[in-house]
This record gives sequence, structure tokens and C-alpha cells, in this order.
Amino acid sequence: MPQIFHPSFNTVSKVTIFGAVFFLAAGGVAVAAFIRSGYATNAGITRDQPVPFSHQQHAGALGIDCRYCHTSVENSPYAGMPPTKTCMNCHQQIWVGSDMLAPVRDSYKSGKSIEWSRVHRVADHVYFDHSVHVAKGVGCTTCHGPVGEMQLIWQHGSLLMEWCLECHRAPEKFVRPRDKVFDLDWKTTGSEQKELGAKLKEEYGLKSMIHCSTCHR
Amino acid sequence: MIELPLVEVATPPEFWKSLGERDGARLDPREFAPGAGLPDFDRRTFLGLMGASLALAGAGCGRQTPEKIVPYVKSPEKTIPGKPLYYATAMPQPGGAVGLMVESHEGRPTKIEGNPAHPASLGAAGAIEQAAVLGLYDPDRAKALTHFSRVTGWNDALDQLRKELAGLVLNKGKGFALLTGGVNSPTLAAQIADLLKAMPLAKWYVHEPTVPGFAHEGAKAALGKPVDLVYRLAEADVIVSLDANFLAEGPNHLRHAREFATRRNPSGNMNRLYAVEAMPTPTGMVADHRLPLRPGRMDEFVAALAARLGVLPGPANVADPKASKFIDAVAADLKKNAGRSLVIAGPYQSQAVHALAIAINDKLGNFGKSVVAIDPVDARPAGDATLTNLAQAMDRGEVDTLLILSVNPVHTAPAGLDFAGKLAKVRLRIRLGLYEDETGCLCDWHIPEAHFLESWSDAVGPDGTASIIQPLIAPLYEGKSAHEVLSAFLSTATTKPAQLPGVPSEWKSWRTREIVRDYWRAWHKSKNVSESFEAFWRRAVHDGVVAGTAREPLTVRAQSVKAPAPGPKPAGPELIVRPDAVLRDGRFANNGWLQELPKPLTKITWDNAAIVSPATARTLGIAPGEGPHGGNHGELLTELVELTAGSRKLRAPLYVLPGHPDDAVTLHLGYGRAKTGKVADGVGVNANELCPTEDSWSGQTVDIRPTGVRFTLACTQTLWSMQGRDLVRLATHEDYKKDPACPPHQAGGHGAHLPHVEGMDELYTNPQVGGPNQWGMSVDLGACNGCGSCVIACQAENSIPVVGKDSVTRGREMAWMRIDRYFTGDESNPQAVHQPVMCQHCENAPCEVVCPVEATSHSPDGLNEMTYNRCVGTRYCANNCPYKVRRFNFLEFTDYATESLKLQRNPDVSVRVRGVMEKCTYCVQRIREAEITAKVQRRGIAEGDIVTACQAACPSQAIVFGNAYDPKSAVSKAKALPRSYGLLTELNTKPRTTYLAAVRNPNPELG
Repeated sequence: MPQIFHPSFNTVSKVTIFGAVFFLAAGGVAVAAFIRSGYATNAGITRDQPVPFSHQQHAGALGIDCRYCHTSVENSPYAGMPPTKTCMNCHQQIWVGSDMLAPVRDSYKSGKSIEWSRVHRVADHVYFDHSVHVAKGVGCTTCHGPVGEMQLIWQHGSLLMEWCLECHRAPEKFVRPRDKVFDLDWKTTGSEQKELGAKLKEEYGLKSMIHCSTCHR
Repeated sequence: MIELPLVEVATPPEFWKSLGERDGARLDPREFAPGAGLPDFDRRTFLGLMGASLALAGAGCGRQTPEKIVPYVKSPEKTIPGKPLYYATAMPQPGGAVGLMVESHEGRPTKIEGNPAHPASLGAAGAIEQAAVLGLYDPDRAKALTHFSRVTGWNDALDQLRKELAGLVLNKGKGFALLTGGVNSPTLAAQIADLLKAMPLAKWYVHEPTVPGFAHEGAKAALGKPVDLVYRLAEADVIVSLDANFLAEGPNHLRHAREFATRRNPSGNMNRLYAVEAMPTPTGMVADHRLPLRPGRMDEFVAALAARLGVLPGPANVADPKASKFIDAVAADLKKNAGRSLVIAGPYQSQAVHALAIAINDKLGNFGKSVVAIDPVDARPAGDATLTNLAQAMDRGEVDTLLILSVNPVHTAPAGLDFAGKLAKVRLRIRLGLYEDETGCLCDWHIPEAHFLESWSDAVGPDGTASIIQPLIAPLYEGKSAHEVLSAFLSTATTKPAQLPGVPSEWKSWRTREIVRDYWRAWHKSKNVSESFEAFWRRAVHDGVVAGTAREPLTVRAQSVKAPAPGPKPAGPELIVRPDAVLRDGRFANNGWLQELPKPLTKITWDNAAIVSPATARTLGIAPGEGPHGGNHGELLTELVELTAGSRKLRAPLYVLPGHPDDAVTLHLGYGRAKTGKVADGVGVNANELCPTEDSWSGQTVDIRPTGVRFTLACTQTLWSMQGRDLVRLATHEDYKKDPACPPHQAGGHGAHLPHVEGMDELYTNPQVGGPNQWGMSVDLGACNGCGSCVIACQAENSIPVVGKDSVTRGREMAWMRIDRYFTGDESNPQAVHQPVMCQHCENAPCEVVCPVEATSHSPDGLNEMTYNRCVGTRYCANNCPYKVRRFNFLEFTDYATESLKLQRNPDVSVRVRGVMEKCTYCVQRIREAEITAKVQRRGIAEGDIVTACQAACPSQAIVFGNAYDPKSAVSKAKALPRSYGLLTELNTKPRTTYLAAVRNPNPELG
């Protein structure tokens, strides 16, 4: 009886079988990598804004406190976007003729809001609350990254649930003293944080908050 | 595998949900209703559909479009984005306004609750008040000013109207008629008075379809002048209701319910309520004694009672031995408690009954104690000024120009008036209304009305306390208030002040706020107080009440009252017409929440019905099951009956209600709307079509004839059986004193008596709970009267969609709370117990263990959580829930298309899509909000920080919520009471919601 398959098919079939496992695994890894990529999460992407507002200049170089503009961060779920009036508090004195600031002046004159492009967008079924995070010693830069170094703001974290859970499972790894929450340059080393985290966890009554209704309602 | 022992069901059971269950006859032994199985698919269709579904599942995916952030230019005062603000206002109602507290998110009102400072609310809000926020966003509201259906601008319209009115003004208003509803705005009353002063020959008519004039006529007969009566229920040990549904209807019902509930605590000094009524009402069905009585017999009943008490001479007896025995007991109890008793006559009772009730209260020395008389709160025209008078005037051609404010007489007038036909004889018809409805489309001009949440006004509460109504939002559709319209008319009427003397010159502006402020500025000035007007105004607006405006009680003395003249005795069955529990005369008919709220006792939604007693149904040859032709959950198969009153005929579906008096049929108003909107139109029948006159509330003989035509009612409580389980507990006060645990009466078959089943304890494991706060709820069945406020509160707070009649008949209603109604006793005169059932938040929750995707889980503080985004819609949880409280979005019930409805939704709650399970969350958004606030303020959560929506709305304070592990909290005190029990605890579910057994206080002499 003649051979149906050439002997080389032994190799082909082995490669195919083991390859299938490899391809499936690789596919899984690729999907996992994709949903965590900046393309899918929008992390690390800046957006065109009507006014190229620089956090580096205002928060970093000039050292304006975060709360000067984001006024409701300590007592509302939303940090709050500043009304045009807040911009004009300074810019009716300085850089009054700047072309870059024309949309701000137009908005102030016409009473029509500036429409900023949203950078941080959590899913609609997540009820994130800034005030409680600030009250429990989560610093701005912990989630928002090096804001003082950003020209145009970008999203620092992935905003995926696993990213939230890193801290919600073990807040002691990220927490800092309440008076350093708005400090853009706050840094600790691993061993310092271990010691500080344990102390603050006790002091602030921090718990691992991972039940669903913490964030989802 | 655990085998549950078979339960021996006692017949007849002590409590029954329906007549069918009581008789055990119609119980379907099959677990699933016919047709509940899989549809008839062949393999190819199935594979085809599945393939298409899979393909489509991926087709909709794409990148989300970037969003914009649009901050303010200048931030308004006190606005913090993400934090709601609360404003006090009031909802005008016939007979008195209810003070409200409205939650506003970034300028859009989302939720209405009661104003604790307002005497008619005390913090609670009824179904109607809470549903008003949906009425505000109703997309079917009139959106433009029209002249013969052509859209016109307000200023153009005014110019034209002025030309039309010029002649009228010169004639001192001859031929001008104004038609309004009950006016309880002092500003509007002053404006009308000014208008009548400027045009002395003009006439003002009042048409308030739900408030007949009997009460005032009766007061006039007994006291010599019309008065409003304010009841102080907490002061009364014995209360007699003469067809008065004072706990669930009328302007002061929220306060009544609160005061009544304070006297229903069995460990305190319990009061006793006797109810004599026709159509079973929430008040009558929770009474300690109830006598079903045809309205035609009420006069003689009250006359006999009055004679027994020495108010009337003459026969102190009635023919009916049951009624006679009842009178004996009531009269004795009233005499014993003179000065601590109260007789309340219902608004639809005759003038004679009202007069006698006043005379009895006076005789017993109740005035000044349990009841006070005040000057009427609604402004009234002098002389005969009813709708009937207007119709006659129109018929005589005396009305040249008619201005209709808000009311809809073409729908609400009795057919005997032929209002639409007579309206055609009027030359110029101008209407201000929320909807371009039956009346609106017959008028030349239609002006869209501003909703009370959109406009400034003022209103007087049932005890005379005035409130400033402040708007929560600018008019959505350029609506005008009645004040603006009248002001425009007034300015026309006063163009030549020299010719028309006596007109105050204060009315300068048409801006409603200024009109209202002008009135109160004058009022404030007349009070001569040192406080500036601005400070007074700000305080009044902020508090929601104008301090010191409650009316002084009048000193009254009853004159001798005549015995009622024997009225015509209806030869056959008597027709009883009453306003609907929530739609009233139909003004709220386009409100989906109210349409879908199961009516108290009948549990019908989306329809009105001809309601008869079981015995009457038998005489008609119809077997009195829950529905004559059976039905499933949500679906009640009945048949249409033809009601003939004189020459008028109407077909309505029959509903058999235990406790209804025999030989009578009740039909509710508010239905049969023709031109309102997509919710109301074509729903139910218009009872006015059977009415010859405005006062046809009862007394008409009606012929009931079965037609054999099948009809399906959407009824949320029909055919389920309790299988003898111990779900509701009811005890008498005597029994309670012997055993405060109020155990179920009927031995055998009750859950508490179930043998312990091995393995049950391990069936559901206790999840890890820990932490200082463990949420729990207690519901007092003795306080609940089944009014439905909590159901609407839940619907508003949790953005629960309306599903429509068809889905309700399939058992797909979405309301997270239901109020189960159980009857006990004889079918001709049963008692009812109402039981609000929502998610019980079991510590050992059966739903959690069966969810394949962990979409429902347990929080450490004891909540049974529902995470919508994980839910894949297997419905295993609903199947495994013994309480049947889980609701599944079978279809896309949430309306994504209508923009205005989106404004109402609570931004703190996820909007659910098709295919997702949902259920009561204990208002988790309010819990987390309170927790966060407490954490930010670095304190613990205090008792009272968290109030669930249902708890806040309940006028009887039957619902208590809080930390069940804190022995000092109200909820743990309630749970520690001996009469506290849980539902189906034999299943070891450990529910966090428990109930307090109802305790009633019957008169031992009546047995």
C-alpha cells in the first residue's frame, strides 16, 4: 500500500499541533496586550485643546495649587473644571493680548463656554469620587502622573479596573500624608513607603475596598 | 438533594391574595404557565438566528467618540458640580398645597421629596407629588402658543388678543367669563379680584372636579358659614370615617397618615378606627372595623348614628341588622370617648352627612381638640359659579369670551352637560394648559402652561400655611404661568385707568416673580414688622413656608341640624363614581409612573374597571374568581360589562373586589383620555360619560349586563399562591397583650411550623460580613396602608423604566418594590394587610450562589450587590430568589430616544439596558454618598445620615432603615420587638429586611 502522506508530514503535523497551542496562547497574549495598550485605553495620548493649556507652566513652574482651578476636588465627586472667570482672574492682567488666549477672552465676552476635549474618561458605570480619595491621602500624581511636567495633559494610568484595584487591594502601597496630597513632587522609595503606608493605613483607617458597590451602583 | 416536606394547606387559608387562591380552585398545578416554554424553533432557524446574533454582537463595536467638557463661564452661586442642591417649593393641590423639597442636579430637578417644615408634608410626599417631576419632563406637553393650531409668538398673540378684548373692556367685561380650578394661590386670587374689579360684569367660574361643594354646604348648614376642617388625628382615641379615605387622599393625607400611625403602636395607647364606606379604600381596609355600605344608605346610617348620640330626634335604627349592631358599638364608643373622638365625612358624601358629622363632633365636644374649623383655604367666587352655571350661561349665549386656566372641562365635565357642544357657542375661547388636550383643541388660542416646577407662584396648605412656589428650572417650552396670563389681561383691562377707577397700580410687570413678590410685599407691609421685605422673602422662599400664616381656629357652635330628606332609593344596582387614586380626574393621566402604579387593593394598572362585590358578580352570572376567566401573573382575564344609566351606556371591564358593597358598582374617573399624549390616550373608559350632572357621585341606578367580550386587565397580583406559608401576620390588640410575638393563627402548613430540614443550614453559606455598619430594614405592617408613595419614590430615585400594559400582563413590570395585598376574613367584608416587598438583602442570599458571572455578590456591610455590567442575563438569580424581587430587562425598557426624559434620571444610578437583571439596592447610592461624606468629614456615620427613598416618602413612617448591628439604632430597636419577623426564614436566608406584625384594635363588643 502506497504511503498517503510524505514522511515530512510527521514534522508538519507536530508543528501544527504544537503551533496551534502556541498561536492560541500568542493570540491571548496579543488580545491582553491590546486592551491594555494606549490605543485601547487612551493612556499617554494628548488631545488638541481649544487653548493649549500647559500644566507644566501653571502647576509646575508657577506652582499654582491644584485647587485654585479644580475647586471642588475636596468636596465633590468631580474635581471641577475651572470656569472661564478663573482664567480671566489672571489673564486680564497678564498676557492680555496673546493670540493663544483669544478663545478665553471670547468665551468671557460672549458668555459661551470653552469646550475642552476630555482626557480622563472613566466608564459610565463607575462612580469615582475625588473627595474621598483626597481625604484618604491619595495624591493627585498617584493617579494623574507627573502633571507638573506635562505640557498638554495626558492620561497617566490605564483607567482599567485592574489599575484601580492595584490600590484598592493594598492602599498602603500608594497612600501619602494628607498634607502632601497636592504636592506634585512627592516621592518615596520602596522601603520608606512600606513604613509610611503601614502607619497611614492605621491612622487614616484605610481598608481594602474591593466590593462591587464601592464603585458600581 | 434536599427534599422539602409537602405542606398541608389549610382550607380556607387564613390569608388570601385572591378569591381563586382562597377557594383553591383555580390553582394551576404546573410550575410554568402555558406558553412559557421555548418557542417552536427548528434547528436551521435556531442556528441562523444564533449566527446572526454573534455576527451582530461584534458589528456594533467601535471607538468611543471623544467627549467634551463644558465648564461654566462664571460659576453660579453655591453650585458644586456633582453635588445636588435642594430647594423648597410646594405643589398646589385642590384644597391645599403640599410643601416639597426638590433635588436638583446642575439645574435639573430629578427627585421630589417632602418638606419637613411644611405642615401638610412633615417630610413625606405622596405618589402624585413625587411623580410631578416626570410630568415636568413629559414630551407630550404643549410646546408652543397656537392660534387654531398655528404656532404664534407670545407678543404677537398679546397684540391680537388686546384688539379682541378692547370691546370687552369698554363693556365692563360683559360677556367675559373666566374658568379656573380651585384657586389656592393668594396672588392668583388677588389678581382675579382685581380683574373682576376692572371688569365688574365679568364672571368667574370654578370647576374642581375632585372637590365637590358638599363639605362647604354641610358646614354652612351646620355652622352658618363654609369652613375647612383640619383634623388632629393624634388627639382622637376613636375615629369614625364616613366614606372618608383620609389616610390616602385629600390635601392633608400625608399629615393624617403620620398622626394616625403614631397612635397605632400596640405598646402605646392605640386608637380605634371605624370605617363605613362603599368602595374599599386604603383607609377603610386597615380600619379596626369596616362596614361596607351602599352610598344610598349612608344618609340613613348617619342619621341613625346622630339620633343615637342625641344630635337628631327620630328613629335611631336602620333596617339592616349588621349596620344596626355597628351603630350600637360606634355610638357607645363615641360617647365613652367624647372630646377624644372624631367623625370624618368623606368629600363625596352629601351635604346632610357633612352637616351631621359636624353636629356630632360638636355634640361630643371634639371641636378645638381633635378637629378645628378654619376659613376655607381655596379662594371662591361669590354666588353660583359652578361649571353647570357656566354651561347654562354659554347655552344662553351670554358668554362671548371664555378664558380657561388649566382645567380640562371637555374631559372632566359630566356627559349630561354637553360642555363641548356649548363651548362651540362661545365666540372667543382662550386656554392656558399643560397639554393641548380635549379642551385645548376646541379653543381658538392655546397657551402652553408653565409647570409648577417651572414658575413662581404661591399656595396655601390645608391648614392655611402659605408657601412660596419657587421654580427649579426655566420653562422648557416657553410656558406661561396663570399669573402672567392674567396680568396680561389685567393690563389690557386697565389700559385706560381713568375710565376704570379702583384698579391698583401695583401690577407693573408681567414677570411672574415680580407679580408674586408684589403680593407678598403688600402683605409684609400690612404686618408692620421690623424685618426688611428682602429678608422676609428670602427666608420664606428658603424655608418653603411663610411663617405665621397658619389660620387661626374659628370658634364654632353647631346649629340644630335637620335630618336628611330621604333621597331617591335606587331601584337596582347603584353607580358609584370616584376620582382615581392617583390619576384623580385625569389630570395626571399622561404620567407613566402613575399609570403603572398598581392601584391600592385592586392592583390594576393601565385601566379602570367596573368594580363589584363577589355576590353581585354571582347575580350577574359571573363566577367571582380573581378574574372571571382566570389569568396568570400580571394578566387578569375578565369580560366587558355594559353599564346603562338612563340613556347613557358605557362598556368597562369587570373587576370583582371582596369588601365592595353588594348591589353597587364603582367606576373611577381619570381614564378614557382622547387627546393628551401617547401615555394617556385610549387607556380605560371615561366614567363621566355615565354622569348626568356634576354631583353624580352616587345614587344613579345602573344596569350591569355582561357582554361576553373578553378583556385582559394588567393586574400585578392575581394567581400566586402562598401555599400556606406564614407571610403576613395580623393580631388583635387583645392577642398582642397576651403574646406580643403575634404568632400566626392557623396551625399547620405555616412556615414557622415547618420541620427543620437537615442540610438547609449548609445550603447557602454565610459570606464574610464585617465592619461597624450592617444595613438592615424594618417595615411596620401595622402602619402601612398601601398608598404607593414608596413605589413611586423608588421609581424616581432609581430611574426605573415604565414598561407598558402589555409587558405588565406578561409579569415584566420593573418596579423594585411591590406592595402585596392580603385579604383575611369573609369575602363580603374582609380586612386587608399590605406588605411592601423589595429585595430582602439575605445574608445567605440564594441568588448569589447561582450567578455564573458573579454579577450579584455580597458587600461587607451586608448589601446584596448587583453589578449591572457583569450581568449576562441568565436570570438564574431571579429563579432562585424565594421572594421574587428581582426584575429583568426583557426588552429595552429605558427610553433612550426622548431627550427630555433623560433630564429626570438620577445621575448617581446606572441606566440599565436590555438583558440585565436589577433589584432593590437599599439605595446604595445614598449609602455610599453618606459614607464618603462622613469619611471626608473624618467622622463615623450617624443614625439618620442614610434615608432610603422609600423611607423618606412613607407618610406613616412604616419603613425604618439603618445600622442593624448598632443596638441604639431605630432599626435594631424595631427588629428587637417581639412582633418582628422575617419572610421565609425557614430557608435560612437570613433576610436583612424584616417586618413587624400588624396589630389592630377591634372593639370586643363587635366580636
